Amino acid sequence: MINAFLQLAQVGTGATLVQTLLKSFALGSVYVLIALGFVIIFKATQVLNFAAGALSMAGAMFMTILISDGGLPLLPFGNPLAPAEGETASVVLFFVNVLIALALAALLGLVIERLAIRPMVGQPLFAMAVITLGIEIAIRPFNLDATALEGRRLGVPWGASSWNWGDAVVPKSYIVAVIIAAIAGAGVLLFFRTKLGVAMRAVAFDQEAAMAQGINVGRVFAIAWAMGTALAALGAIVYGMAPFPPGGSVSQEIHPLLALRVLPVIVLGGLDSVAGAIYGGLIIATAEVFAGQYLSQWNSTLGSGYSTIVPYLVMLFMLLVKPYGLFGTPEIRRV
Amino acid sequence: MRRLKVFVALLLALSMLAAACGDDEDSSSGGDDGGSDTSDDSGDSGDSGDSGDSGDSGDSGGAEIATDFGVDAENKIIYVGINGDLTGPFASLVAEIVAAQEVYWEVFNGNGGYQGWTVEPVVLDSSYQTDIGIQNYETLAQESEDGVLMITENTGSPITAAIAEQAAEDNVLVIPLSWASLWPDPAFGSAILEKQTTYCVEAMNGVEWLYEKVQSEGLDPALAIIGRPGEYGEDGSVGAALAAEALGIPVVYDGTGAVAGDDRTAIISELVSSGATMVWVTLTPGELLDIFGNSVTQGLRAYWSGSSPSFNYLVHMPSDFAAEFSEYYFQSQYQAPWATPGIPGMEDIIAAMVEARPELNISDVFTTGWIEGIMAETLIRTAIDQGDLTRANMVAISQDPSFSVDFKGLSADQSWPQDYNEAVVRSSWIYDVDVSKFNLIPLADYTPENPGSTGLIPIEQDYIGSVAENFVFDGPCIETSG
Repeated sequence: MINAFLQLAQVGTGATLVQTLLKSFALGSVYVLIALGFVIIFKATQVLNFAAGALSMAGAMFMTILISDGGLPLLPFGNPLAPAEGETASVVLFFVNVLIALALAALLGLVIERLAIRPMVGQPLFAMAVITLGIEIAIRPFNLDATALEGRRLGVPWGASSWNWGDAVVPKSYIVAVIIAAIAGAGVLLFFRTKLGVAMRAVAFDQEAAMAQGINVGRVFAIAWAMGTALAALGAIVYGMAPFPPGGSVSQEIHPLLALRVLPVIVLGGLDSVAGAIYGGLIIATAEVFAGQYLSQWNSTLGSGYSTIVPYLVMLFMLLVKPYGLFGTPEIRRV
Repeated sequence: MRRLKVFVALLLALSMLAAACGDDEDSSSGGDDGGSDTSDDSGDSGDSGDSGDSGDSGDSGGAEIATDFGVDAENKIIYVGINGDLTGPFASLVAEIVAAQEVYWEVFNGNGGYQGWTVEPVVLDSSYQTDIGIQNYETLAQESEDGVLMITENTGSPITAAIAEQAAEDNVLVIPLSWASLWPDPAFGSAILEKQTTYCVEAMNGVEWLYEKVQSEGLDPALAIIGRPGEYGEDGSVGAALAAEALGIPVVYDGTGAVAGDDRTAIISELVSSGATMVWVTLTPGELLDIFGNSVTQGLRAYWSGSSPSFNYLVHMPSDFAAEFSEYYFQSQYQAPWATPGIPGMEDIIAAMVEARPELNISDVFTTGWIEGIMAETLIRTAIDQGDLTRANMVAISQDPSFSVDFKGLSADQSWPQDYNEAVVRSSWIYDVDVSKFNLIPLADYTPENPGSTGLIPIEQDYIGSVAENFVFDGPCIETSG
């Protein structure tokens, strides 16, 4: 371990270290947003949402329809807040469109909850999880068709531009990602202090007792799905910003797999913990990015793509020492 | 329980509806485009490329023709197979290639076919997954009335490598949508009829062209090579390394096979710190976007090129790195892009596609589907002239050293000698990337004054570098990993 750190110190310049740290935080921010989506739905419904990948990409697709096509998803109307053809939106207009896209994603979450999840209340959780898998498969063709077999622009006003901090190159999108995740994380933490948030925690703790106290469990489910879908969509939109791999667009090749990469985050942090999603996202991304950056000279020994495996190694270790994750609620059963 | 059943039924119906929407192309459409004279022209390719058998075509008009599988002799219909990646990583390109080949057959059929014989394509989607590709092959190659005469497109090196041996056993001739250097090897791909150059030779040409570019700008040549694992990536990387060795270019980073998984931090890190002034890649479009974008963001200033289809204008032009691609990237290709002036074959493509698929956007890769059609038509005409439309005869014709195809300027004309060194096509094309010219219009809006542009402008047609020209091949550049 000491040798590894010594090696790190030798290999990395200060600028590289700054860039690596920022990339870790930025990727961690994406992971946090999507993980929060998983956690909120799991907290309220005890269901692991396997549809998160398709739902997050659908949200990002809504954004491209709003801003690149100047339209409204599934509706025959134009988007009055879209930039003029061939022009890029101002920063304010861009974020207004992001909010509209998130509202539409939340609406999609509500519809899915009402049609597919609510009728399953009282059924085995496994069946509900399989239903979410079915939703993932059903929505995927929409995403692939809507991309019209091509990359679709997100219309990010600052594009791939960067700041220079000394020798370090700092992409603007990385800073934006961190700010967005910080706001979203704080928002979710505050939400759980509201009446509705307390109701959600009560439902998560004991559904029947919550109902007995007059809490509308169905309403809690609906809000959880709306919030969870919107957060996942926000993660996909942020991940579309350059220089994240999709390079300023929604990618058929990259976006569908994003949610899968978040699974180690929620296992590490704990499936039902907001704090766990935040810490887990940052830890996993840091491990992944630092391993990729500083162990690259041993690529031939470690094998290509080794950094992709790092999150799963961390997850495996966590499962062995703390099966419920860093902040997960241990389930105690009488045997 | 009843509600659950209703929901499951609803979900199933929605899935089927979505799937239907995603694959609404009729894979066996008949031709009604008799108004176009394109087929007459393309039909000529058979004559010009024929080894002399075309002179007998009249003789066999009323004669009995030997057939086995994939031919409906009663109705004079020939079935050909397409095993394409319509939903995988290369779907954006392959869907357009398949559309062009379908239109090719529609025009051919609309003009009466050849001696009354028409061709119907059967299209299956492999998603670029080898297991599905093999299953599709088995479906197409079945020895029954549901089989096809030959496979006129098989997407991808891994799938082609996986079926090559079986195809030889089954006598099913396959035109690969892959340019691996394995295919011209008669010992390996006796039923694989490769088209155009190989990834290996393409890389030789591309690296030599980059070398000249770098030198012309007074930079020190230093090459980085990045390739994905498998036949496609390794072939391109080997060609690049061979060119570097021949030209004395130092290879400062070799990332052959290093691209795996979703995190490419290691590759980008090593590439940026390598001091490369020229980069050769053999990647998927998504991988290129990530590696190129992050490398440029981190300050790498080098000229890039790569095996086709590493660059895909559908993916890269809408990205936030389009300007950087315009500045630093040069696309390597095998053929003429959309609306290249002065090429007879391109005039055929434009006329046919505008009429038959006005709803599609213009595309550079229509050329690929068209070329596959020309190859298959030339083979079929020859077989009909010989009175033998059996699978074995299709393979035999392809192995005839005198058999050749005229691509009407779309790509270098080709023949298939049984000696590897003679069979390898040595030329490739180099395009400039220019986002300012990118004007992707629907075919319906095409006019000769406003033909649209994919932003790719040919700067070298049928370019042959000194390395590729003089290299003596004793076999493929790689061994199959399958």
